Amino acid sequence: MTANAPGQVCLMQGNEAIVRGAVEAGINFAASYPGSPSSQVLGMLGKIAGERSFYAEWSTNEVCALEACVGASLAGARALCIVKQNGLLCTADSLHCGAQHGVKGGLVIVTSDDPSAHSSTNEFDSRWQAESASVALLEPTTMQETKDIVPYAFELSERTGQMVIVRLTTRVCHGRGIVKLGELPEKSHPLQKVREWDRLVCVSYLHAPMLERLEALRSEFEDCAYNHYAGPEGAEKLIVAGGTGRLYAQEAMHRLGVEDQAGLLTLGTLWPLPERYILRYLRAAKEVLILEEVDPFLEQHLEALAGKHRLSVAFRGREDGALPKIGELDPDNVSAAIAAFTGTALPEKRAASHLELPQRDMTFCAGCPHRATFHILKRVLRQEKNPGVVIGDIGCYIMSGQFAGQYAFQAVNCMGSGINLAEALGQLTRYGLDQKVVTVCGDSTFFHTIMPGVVNAVYHKANMLLLVLDNSATAMTGFQPHPGTGLTAMGAAAEPMNIQRILEAMGCKVEAADPFDVAETERTVKRLLQEEGMNVLIMRQPCATLTAKKQKKPVRVWVDQDACLGDGCGCDKYCSRVWGCPGNTWDFKNGKAQIDPVTCVGCGVCAKFCPSGAIHVERGEEA
Amino acid sequence: MLSTIALDTQVIKPGLCTGCGACQGMCPYWDSVDGRTICYFDCERRDGRCQRFCPRMPTDLDALRRRFFPEETVLPEIGPFRGLYLTRAADESIRARAQHGGTMTALVELAMREGFIDAAVLTRSRGGLNPEGTLAASPEEVRACGGSSFQVPPTLAVLNRALREDKYHSIGVVGTPCKTLAVYKMKGNPLPDNDNHAGNIGMVFGLFCGWGLDWDGMNALAARHVDPREIGHMDIPPSKYHSLELRTGAETVSVNLDEVTPLVRPGCRACTDMTAEFADLSVGGARSADGWDVDKGWNQLIVRSEKGEALLKIAREKGVLEFRDVPETGLDKLKGASMGKRRNGEKYLAELEK
Repeated sequence: MTANAPGQVCLMQGNEAIVRGAVEAGINFAASYPGSPSSQVLGMLGKIAGERSFYAEWSTNEVCALEACVGASLAGARALCIVKQNGLLCTADSLHCGAQHGVKGGLVIVTSDDPSAHSSTNEFDSRWQAESASVALLEPTTMQETKDIVPYAFELSERTGQMVIVRLTTRVCHGRGIVKLGELPEKSHPLQKVREWDRLVCVSYLHAPMLERLEALRSEFEDCAYNHYAGPEGAEKLIVAGGTGRLYAQEAMHRLGVEDQAGLLTLGTLWPLPERYILRYLRAAKEVLILEEVDPFLEQHLEALAGKHRLSVAFRGREDGALPKIGELDPDNVSAAIAAFTGTALPEKRAASHLELPQRDMTFCAGCPHRATFHILKRVLRQEKNPGVVIGDIGCYIMSGQFAGQYAFQAVNCMGSGINLAEALGQLTRYGLDQKVVTVCGDSTFFHTIMPGVVNAVYHKANMLLLVLDNSATAMTGFQPHPGTGLTAMGAAAEPMNIQRILEAMGCKVEAADPFDVAETERTVKRLLQEEGMNVLIMRQPCATLTAKKQKKPVRVWVDQDACLGDGCGCDKYCSRVWGCPGNTWDFKNGKAQIDPVTCVGCGVCAKFCPSGAIHVERGEEA
Repeated sequence: MLSTIALDTQVIKPGLCTGCGACQGMCPYWDSVDGRTICYFDCERRDGRCQRFCPRMPTDLDALRRRFFPEETVLPEIGPFRGLYLTRAADESIRARAQHGGTMTALVELAMREGFIDAAVLTRSRGGLNPEGTLAASPEEVRACGGSSFQVPPTLAVLNRALREDKYHSIGVVGTPCKTLAVYKMKGNPLPDNDNHAGNIGMVFGLFCGWGLDWDGMNALAARHVDPREIGHMDIPPSKYHSLELRTGAETVSVNLDEVTPLVRPGCRACTDMTAEFADLSVGGARSADGWDVDKGWNQLIVRSEKGEALLKIAREKGVLEFRDVPETGLDKLKGASMGKRRNGEKYLAELEK
């Protein structure tokens, strides 16, 4: 990442290309909150920040991250903010205000969209935010472009005094490709004093200058290396691609042998659109196929452009049904769309195998404390006269809405919302809603956006129970430090924030419990549900993957198959079927339970639930 | 249909569950809280003991009766019958904490002393509020269970656990009609591969029952009239009094029955058995021409089986029970009361089916 070897060719992941691009741009400041698919970017930046003399932090949330970048920009710093699609939405107010007041030092936001929502609750198209905020939007395709686009974005941001958004998608973030390294600057970008009359102030009369900046950007994009065209002159069939669509199109056109039959126009500058440049190809076209990730953003804007210029062009894409309306592009659906578009036969697809893969639900890791928490919660709520309400939040524990957590949740909105949904229900318990209200959040989510909700719920005396699932980690995205962990992105030690003390200072009744002590914790949850007002129970048990790393001699858990009832009446595979830990498997030969010694991390909770006492735990030693 | 879903859809959701606990104590799926039967997780078995033992799941009562009682002993109105008696415990200390005459406590103690049973599953009434099932292994422990409650606890969960443990091999069970029916269903051994040691059931002692009450409702009612912690006894005198009596120390508070009847468990409204027809012996409060002041210190006792007869013989020989003459009309009155409950139950069931 930090090798000063211009011209050297490396194999790089998209996320790595962003890091290298940032280093080549000489950034001064980087801030992020982890979110797939771009979680690795700040982790890597943190590791090299000391060497390259810039500052990097895992911010408490995305709003903190972007606003910190705005602050850095005031001092002329080059600031990089990395978010995922949901994170970008969190920053929306700051983004729109910042777009209006503009920037001094270059400010680039890398936003990673997750089409098909592989690691998200929802797919969302970040491009609308750029349009809405009137800032520049770039989208690279290859790893080389991904690296090169970062220094370009900083330079553009400084030249136009405006933020720039670089949009990536999962396949760009996680894909690998060849990158030729550029030169590293000797020093980081020079900082500038904040002068008495420097102004980054959002006021209404700056709306017009913001629109002027947008038009300046449009002219700039009319002639930009990130937009290019390949194919016959004056093509009547035109394929327009942004992002991954270009590579899929190139592959499909080559495979179908239609490279001469249609033109391929690739757009890297997506907002504001270079209208004159696009019109050069659009005027000749009779039919246009648009390949883009998530929403018909280009499709709608190009239709509008054609309409404005009274062009008679038929548009094919996501909106018209040539491509699926949801989910990501892939070589198959793009090939099918191009074959149909060019009237070419689609080669028959040969399956690698006819074996069907088993359907597997997403579930918690073996030994995950969340499994115990939600098992306990389900038992306690079933004991209530009226079924209780459980509101979820965002973290690994979102899987509790499924089998992994006994289908716990009635509602999950966005990150940090659980406390507020529950607050409302907690208030309604005074207006005839005779149900217990429970919400959950992880430790990282607690810092991210739960805290204002706690203040609200305590102040207004909502009747509810908040379970803070404190597993000492931002486990979902890969163990990034958060304010409770005592570590920073740059590897420095910090005083960890104590969640219990924070909650107590806010005026909550707080207790702590160990979800692995299932009987005692069940009693505690049951008792707290009967108490008025805002109650908090901190479920303390480290993430199983952290625990597993610490063990020198692993705990051995085993099943006495003579005592095991198996699928007999009185058990019916309780351990593998209901408790559902991947460590509890089924011995098909003997029709009995067994433990997978490779998967099991030795939490021993299944032994506590086994109705026959057939599961035994032999303790190991802690390192 | 899965057993847990069968019970949920055919018994619990329609409001037929009596809370007896027959489905509990055998697996991690079923439990009871404040008289409510709950299922924590679904079990995927299609034929489990929970549904086979439940007294509210379809049962061929005639076939079950034929298996355990000679047909010629069966009276259509009150079931197997070998004699009706008016009795009370001879031991005053039993009577002092008894619901009525202490006959049940005296008989169960005797059964244990005489080796009819080696343990007993009973209900500890706790003064009548929030009772609990318990396993008694000594006559002293049996005596501690004197007195009744109008809330039905899941006592059979205790029985199931005791059977499963296989420590006692002749366990006596005391229970209301729903419970004793469930126990006979267990004795019928519907799943031979999976009998939960039903052979360890020794003797069945039935309690007459009008109905049981909703737990939360009963606690709220008690709190409206007295300090619930002070209640030591509750009773319902004959129907002309139309009241429920709550006794705290020396004071007795009379509650209008209109306040009580809305709290009757729906599952009890569907019940057609007043005298616990499936039992070796059944015991209830006495009804005679001498009036409530005398009757409340006595019991009616129906002997139903040979074993019950044998126990009563010893009780008479050893002077454990005292006897009064049963009035001439006693059996007819009992039959009338029993038929009254059966008709009401059948009417309720017919309406439920609509």
